Amino acid sequence: MKNKIIMFWAIVLIVIVSIITIFVKPTKLGLDLVGGSRLVIEAEATKNVPVITQEVMDRLQFAIENRVNKLGVAETVVQQIGEKRLLIEIPNVTDLKEAKAFLGETAQLEFKKESVDKNGVQTWVETGLTGQDLSKSMLTTDSAGHWVVSLEFKSEGSRKFADLTKELVGKPMAIFFNGDLVSAPNVNEPIYGGKAQISGGDSGFAYEEAERMVNLLNAGALPVPAKIVEENTVGPTLGADSIAKSKVAGIIGLGFVMLFMVFYYRVPGLIADIALVIYSLMLFALFKAIPVTLTLAGIAGFILSIGMAVDANILIFERTKEELRAGRNLFTAINSGFDRAFTSIFDSNMTTIITCAILYMLGTSIVKGFALTLALGVIVSMFSAITITKNFMHLIFGTGELKYPALFGLRKDEIGKGFEVTETKRENAKFGILD
Amino acid sequence: MNEITSRHLIDIVKYRVVWLCISALLLLPGVCALVYSAIHNENHIPLKVGIDYTGGTILQYGVNKNISNEDIAKTREDLQTIGIENPYIQILHANSGNSNDLKNIISIRTKFIGQDEDTVNKITEKLSAEYENPELISVSSVGPTLGKELFKNSLIALSLAFLGIIAYLSIRFKFDYALAAILGIAHDVLFVVGAFSLLGILYNVQIDGLFITAILTVVGFSVHDTIVVFDRIRENLRYYSKKMSFGEIVNASVNQTLARSINTSLTTLITLGALYFFGGVTTKDFVLAMILGIAIGTYSSIFFCSVLVDIWEDKKNDKSPASKTAAMV
Repeated sequence: MKNKIIMFWAIVLIVIVSIITIFVKPTKLGLDLVGGSRLVIEAEATKNVPVITQEVMDRLQFAIENRVNKLGVAETVVQQIGEKRLLIEIPNVTDLKEAKAFLGETAQLEFKKESVDKNGVQTWVETGLTGQDLSKSMLTTDSAGHWVVSLEFKSEGSRKFADLTKELVGKPMAIFFNGDLVSAPNVNEPIYGGKAQISGGDSGFAYEEAERMVNLLNAGALPVPAKIVEENTVGPTLGADSIAKSKVAGIIGLGFVMLFMVFYYRVPGLIADIALVIYSLMLFALFKAIPVTLTLAGIAGFILSIGMAVDANILIFERTKEELRAGRNLFTAINSGFDRAFTSIFDSNMTTIITCAILYMLGTSIVKGFALTLALGVIVSMFSAITITKNFMHLIFGTGELKYPALFGLRKDEIGKGFEVTETKRENAKFGILD
Repeated sequence: MNEITSRHLIDIVKYRVVWLCISALLLLPGVCALVYSAIHNENHIPLKVGIDYTGGTILQYGVNKNISNEDIAKTREDLQTIGIENPYIQILHANSGNSNDLKNIISIRTKFIGQDEDTVNKITEKLSAEYENPELISVSSVGPTLGKELFKNSLIALSLAFLGIIAYLSIRFKFDYALAAILGIAHDVLFVVGAFSLLGILYNVQIDGLFITAILTVVGFSVHDTIVVFDRIRENLRYYSKKMSFGEIVNASVNQTLARSINTSLTTLITLGALYFFGGVTTKDFVLAMILGIAIGTYSSIFFCSVLVDIWEDKKNDKSPASKTAAMV
């Protein structure tokens, strides 16, 4: 009982922390729910790409989508308008300046070697090794503690890099980013592993500078530069009118579910309702703490996870009722109800989590948002069903015999006698009493 | 034994052919609609796809009025009457210098109308009725927000997720169960997609970006529901495989989990029902897809997946069907 009381206060603490988080942290809502900023950017032809073809636009769109995702601004809409413009809608970002700076840069990484022409003028010439050969880049520190950008090449890129470094032993190799020389270290020996580091020249990188470079490199280069031609704030895509209505409807729906639980499962149903409220608070606080940008897809994941949380409770109560019908005392019935239900809760939730993990890793915007909220929801729901519901059940019902079966929505004549359970084992098979 | 079988509300095993026929009947109209649309639609996509997938036209009107939610709702209704279906209506506040002295901009995203003056004029007319002198600022075509790449990407992710589910269920249960669960998902998804294809033909219902989410939800629910039943079969098998035939165990397990299966779907359907009847217009189709999916998911977990498992077990043992034994005892 002492453990139960400690647990109870732990739950109270979690609730308080959740509520504080909810009040302190801002909610991040997606474009479809609150709107955001609408930018229009226009592709600009360059020396290398004199005509903006549809293919260039497709690549530009893909690169911009990647880049906005890397910016940590989830749920962004990028679509082409007209022939050479892209419309970008970014949900409520606090710092649009950063986003804007991020969008226009081409982020072309180039490795160049020195070349001296006939007149003795020194120039850097292209080597064919560019940012496209990278598999990923990371922000790390070197032995002296300076920020450096670590690069990993794809297999093709590794070969190119090895060849290049072999060729340039004893000579400088220049690294250009956005057309600017970042550093030009001397190559001491050929590098075969397909890994390299860029240090920010003599002065080193500032953290922000290196981080930005890593993000841009990971997002990929733009095929052509783009400039921002229009900038507006914009209302929600789903229409403010619809959202207002749906909010009310959602609350009505949840209210009905709660009523149903109490009506059908009585006192345990009420406990489940309380657990559900706590569950929602915890999950919402978690969304804010991470933070997760909530869109309708995300909310769908949330609703589904609520459904699964309710399901966990229903599974447990059905099992507990079966145990009670077989004449177990309250404490045992509640405990074995939980234990028996746990395998199915665990397996069904594990498949959901596996699915979400794969969808999150491979999916794109909408799918990602959905997978994230659902996975978080399922994890929190397992916790809430197992700790909160169980704890409250034990605290309220204690350890004695079940005196008032109506509390569980059971009839008196349904309750068997304890000793009969051991005698008529097979008879009880229909209730799933299996030991 | 007698009592166990007689107490069952549903005899899954005995009428398994009936249940499979019902599944077939449920799926048939949708499948026909899919085939019909695939043949008759221009681009051979078996569903009517909305502007999220196809792109369309974006019209921007400047108005000198503060726009409330009711205004948007009314505009939406007005536009529907002239055949502009499922428009995205957003309010823009210009915060760069080029905004003249207009207060607000209404941005309407709709299907492709190109340079069709007639339609544009009709829209302008409708807006004039509601707002004073709306000024048409721009008409431009927009590309899809969900390009083919994105769609393909989602499909690949989903296929891999299926493999993950199969692997997990094969380890925790058996490969048979995993396969039955996946077929159950296919059953449910086919039903919902078919239903929307049919709705597309009958009522011109289009699928939007949210449809993918709805399908994912259906997948999640379907597998969740099925596992609970399978878990019970697994548990009962552990203790009763010597005393009862497989068919009897399947029957007992489905009936033991019946209350839970129904209650869980019911609670989810209550929420969705409220969203459908009282919620916003823009999410109605999305909610409908989930309602259909969850209803069919419950059916398939009870009447489809368990039946499949039972049939396979029979095939393996190659003896007289368990259903007969169960019925006779």
